[in-house]
Amino acid sequence: MPRTEWPHRNGRPCIQIVLTLAADGQTFPRTVLADTGAGALKAGIEFILEEDDCLLCGGNPDQFVTLGGAYVGSFPIYVLPVQLPALGFAQNMRVVGVPSIPAGFDGIACFSFLNRFHYGNFGDPDVFGLES
Amino acid sequence: MSTAATVQDLNRDLARRINQEARSNPHSPYANKFVGIANGQVVVVADDLDAMVRRLRQAEPDPTKTICVEASRDYEEVHEIWGLN
Repeated sequence: MPRTEWPHRNGRPCIQIVLTLAADGQTFPRTVLADTGAGALKAGIEFILEEDDCLLCGGNPDQFVTLGGAYVGSFPIYVLPVQLPALGFAQNMRVVGVPSIPAGFDGIACFSFLNRFHYGNFGDPDVFGLES
Repeated sequence: MSTAATVQDLNRDLARRINQEARSNPHSPYANKFVGIANGQVVVVADDLDAMVRRLRQAEPDPTKTICVEASRDYEEVHEIWGLN
């Protein structure tokens, strides 16, 4: 089974996703916190990113979602293509656009996304990985 | 008001009505479907998000003139994002 791993960032698990800029089609890698505490399995949101990134990547607007906890209020959802090239993954995903994200990261990968894969450190305490 | 804002208002109003219908009537043709709207009209109804969005972008390449809705989803539900510190 294909697996890809990333070193922790600021002592926290992270993954790197690849977005695509709408203006020129260039790839736009984003390092996001891997957060199993972000949303429930059936929340219908896969990532939280800066809203500016969603717009730069030509995200199609969806509805608004209400968040509680670390983010409180109503935030727009966008649908945009997300890739994990090492795993051959490329799908349109629902992403919440927020004004700011945790320092040191470009966004958050929610539980509903991480749970599509086998995830964890796979025996190496210094990395976080996904396996499809 | 700009044209884009007007189109987005039309799209949002239609999306709201579709979701309302699907949530109140399980036999609605939109119930549990992913619906793509462009320029105030339904242009695609699909069983999964990825297929719907691919077809929506073919029908209308400008994302500001489109909107997506998962009919029957409760968008009022509060989703908890646990603390980050």
